[in-house]
Amino acid sequence: MSERPSQFRVLIVDDDPDMGAYLSLLLKKEGMLAEEAVDGESALVRIHSNPPDLVLCDVMMPGMSGFEVCQRLKEDESTALIPVVLITALEDQPSRVKGIEAGADDFLSKPVKREELLARVRTLRRLHETRKELEQRRLQVEIQRKETIRKAFSRYISPRLAERIIDDAQSAGGEPQFMLRPQRSNLVAMFADLRGCTRLTERLEVDRVVEMLNQFFTIRTEAAYHHEATIFNMAGDSLLVAFNVPFPQKDAARRAYLCATEMITRFSPVAEQWARDHGLGTGVGIGACTGEAIIGNVGSPHYMNYTIIGNPVNTAARLMQMARANELLVCEDTYAEIKDLVPKELVESRGDVTLKGKSAPMPVYSLKIVLPGAG
Amino acid sequence: MSQDKFTAVVAKDLEDLIPVFMSNRKKEVGILRSALEAGDFEQLRQLGHRMKGVGNSYGFAPVSDLGKSLEDAAKTSDKAATDAIIAEYADYLERVQIVYE
Repeated sequence: MSERPSQFRVLIVDDDPDMGAYLSLLLKKEGMLAEEAVDGESALVRIHSNPPDLVLCDVMMPGMSGFEVCQRLKEDESTALIPVVLITALEDQPSRVKGIEAGADDFLSKPVKREELLARVRTLRRLHETRKELEQRRLQVEIQRKETIRKAFSRYISPRLAERIIDDAQSAGGEPQFMLRPQRSNLVAMFADLRGCTRLTERLEVDRVVEMLNQFFTIRTEAAYHHEATIFNMAGDSLLVAFNVPFPQKDAARRAYLCATEMITRFSPVAEQWARDHGLGTGVGIGACTGEAIIGNVGSPHYMNYTIIGNPVNTAARLMQMARANELLVCEDTYAEIKDLVPKELVESRGDVTLKGKSAPMPVYSLKIVLPGAG
Repeated sequence: MSQDKFTAVVAKDLEDLIPVFMSNRKKEVGILRSALEAGDFEQLRQLGHRMKGVGNSYGFAPVSDLGKSLEDAAKTSDKAATDAIIAEYADYLERVQIVYE
């Protein structure tokens, strides 16, 4: 008989080798895997190193009794669920009481009648299989739930980050901290687009333009994933990302600054190549703003987007439009969070600026990104 | 009737186990005799208990019956009765015929 991992394994504990051989034979005929131990001590060692599905244990043994074996197994969390059948003498009623107290799952009387043995073992095997199946189903449901969350968010954040958020929540025994329902939240919105894009689209072949834009989007998406931003929108050549949503990030402004820096520095050699190939001047313009916005699925039943709406989003868009190539423009709140991080000589206050569509002027800061190799 | 007493009807599927079983029983007689000589009635009681359990399971009812008698005799440290039971056990093992069904 081949040893399939699913085969029901029974450990027989009996000091009489003839009794062990007899029980073993009957169980093997039933398609089970039977192993034998001749005393309680060696049985416990074997059970801990390779837990069987059932323990069939004689009560009267020299050394450790069957009661003690049973009790030890039931006291230990790792073995408590293994069913134990105690084999007692037929007339021995006090042994049964003692066995129940020790936590035995069932009893067999000596002489062991094969029909009775098989009936009891089959019942326990069914219970065991039902329990295993339930556990399997519970795991399946858990995996599906995790998969649903992963799918819902993997469009917006890196798959690795989605995985980490789910795993962190699970190991902490809670639910992932995604904002699944629409809500108002403080966030850092950041827009990045391509300066010099109009000339590029006018002067080059369509296929080449698409290829170049894809290259541009790849760099920004990778930088976004790298700093664990959530991507909310791609339109034309602009990209909208945000921090601190849909899961908390204490250092959201810092991440936004580092992400903008990476976008600009990684794009710079590409821009140089494009300049050589096509004589085009290009660069990244970025605007970022901190504030409260609404986050959620917005749209019609036919078309929906997971998106952010509100003042910081509009302001970040205006700042991006104002930004020169390889410049990051930020609002006052964002700057306050990162000013220790940015060397003073790279910061320039633009004073109070009245942005398009805004009634009141607001302070704007320009953060210059130093490109590698630049003096 | 006495013919029946010395005929053990054993399930066919146990046939492979019988040679070892019989050899263990014959060894058991030797151990019982040594235990009696040493006056170790606790060991005699334990061995009687074991015979009682295993005999019927294999289809050897007299082994279980003798085991039960031995257990009782050992409990009262009845030397004469124990001696007689061991003799009867040795005789039974000599004469028993096995039929597989």
